[in-house]
Amino acid sequence: MANVNMESQTPQNPMGATPAKFVSPRTVALYAVLTALTTAVTMTLAIPLPTRGYFNIGDAMVFFSAFTFGWRAGMICGGIGSAAADLLLGFGFFAPITLVAKGSEGLVAGLLGPAYRGTTPMKILGIWAGGSCMVTTYFVGEWILFGFGNAALELPLNVGQVLFGGLIGLALSQAISRYRNQLPKMT
Amino acid sequence: MTGFIDLYTEASTFLHRTDPRVKIVAVATLSLLALIMSHLVYLLVLAAVMVVLILFGRASFKKTMLAFSYVFRVMALIVVLWPLFNPGGTPVLLDLWPIKITEPGISAGIATAVRIFCLAAAWYILMFTTSQRDLVRGLVKMGLRFDFGLSLAMSLRFLPTFSAIVESIKEAQRARGLELDKGNFRKRAKDYVAVLVPTVITALKMADTLSLALQSRAYGARADRTYVRELKMRAGDYVALFIAVAVFAVPATAKYIFSVPL
Repeated sequence: MANVNMESQTPQNPMGATPAKFVSPRTVALYAVLTALTTAVTMTLAIPLPTRGYFNIGDAMVFFSAFTFGWRAGMICGGIGSAAADLLLGFGFFAPITLVAKGSEGLVAGLLGPAYRGTTPMKILGIWAGGSCMVTTYFVGEWILFGFGNAALELPLNVGQVLFGGLIGLALSQAISRYRNQLPKMT
Repeated sequence: MTGFIDLYTEASTFLHRTDPRVKIVAVATLSLLALIMSHLVYLLVLAAVMVVLILFGRASFKKTMLAFSYVFRVMALIVVLWPLFNPGGTPVLLDLWPIKITEPGISAGIATAVRIFCLAAAWYILMFTTSQRDLVRGLVKMGLRFDFGLSLAMSLRFLPTFSAIVESIKEAQRARGLELDKGNFRKRAKDYVAVLVPTVITALKMADTLSLALQSRAYGARADRTYVRELKMRAGDYVALFIAVAVFAVPATAKYIFSVPL
């Protein structure tokens, strides 16, 4: 499960048309589900806040995807899933910033976390580095859009959110890897 | 924050009939327009245009208010905080060290708040008048790879399902005595894991079934895909595209080439 096959598949086709080069159906299904899960967790397990709307644990899903399925899954599912939650929750104009912030978070965490067989210190390093990317992107984006005051007010909240989400994501990825044998084989 | 809201409202206005690609381009140009303008009067004109377009979109009042509730909160905060952090300019209204409030600070704060309204409104008009299916189709037509488009469409379809699953697992764990709103930082994180582990396992099982369903429907058998409903640019769409681009291009030229203050 840990290494999802990203190879393009070229199926035999009876029609005689050019064989299609797409990512495997397994990857499409997994990415769709992880993206939807990130959005759903961001939206349903959220605590409303005065400034950016809500304190959520969507970061936990970003870190989980990155640690379990690699940096591609972390980047795509984290970025798009969180941006979709922004769109649907009422922060549409914030979606591009979220896409970059959470996408880079998933990318960096996914590159660092599984290195050296994904030991806990490496995952913590991944959370720290990925979280810094996310916090910095949000700070710069909010500074440009809302001005320095709001961005500074938001900074500690974002740090808290990343720490909370990172703690959950770490525990979640360890818990799921313990159940790995019971999970269905990704055919 | 329960459940899932679909912002799209079924109707048949010109905004609904316009090609989704044109609407995506229009959101981009209107957002850029709001970002390059800094004069309060022009921003208010743009905001008025946005309000008219929202009314054309025929979204219910309740849905509109729900969507904008966060935006209004941010706007209020900007109006309050901007003058405190930007004490520039000459007509000083209040000077209590370290707080200094000036007239340019206040007007810049209001202008930023109006700009945020314009940015948010542009996105909402798109979301109110475009169904998710059309949005994904438009993105694929604009060059997004088909398989990623399919993945996006499927994730949008599964969103309400997963929201319901998260809610029901939360309730099930509560019935077993889990208290999500109590305890310190570490305990709360641990409690959320108890909700997320069953959710993730359910989701991964679903992904497995989904990939079988995709394979059994000959996913990726041919590169030249055909669609039941093709997107076609009509004359009206070209006019709308021209207006959307001109609305940004004309003020941008005026500002950056002829240096007209905007």
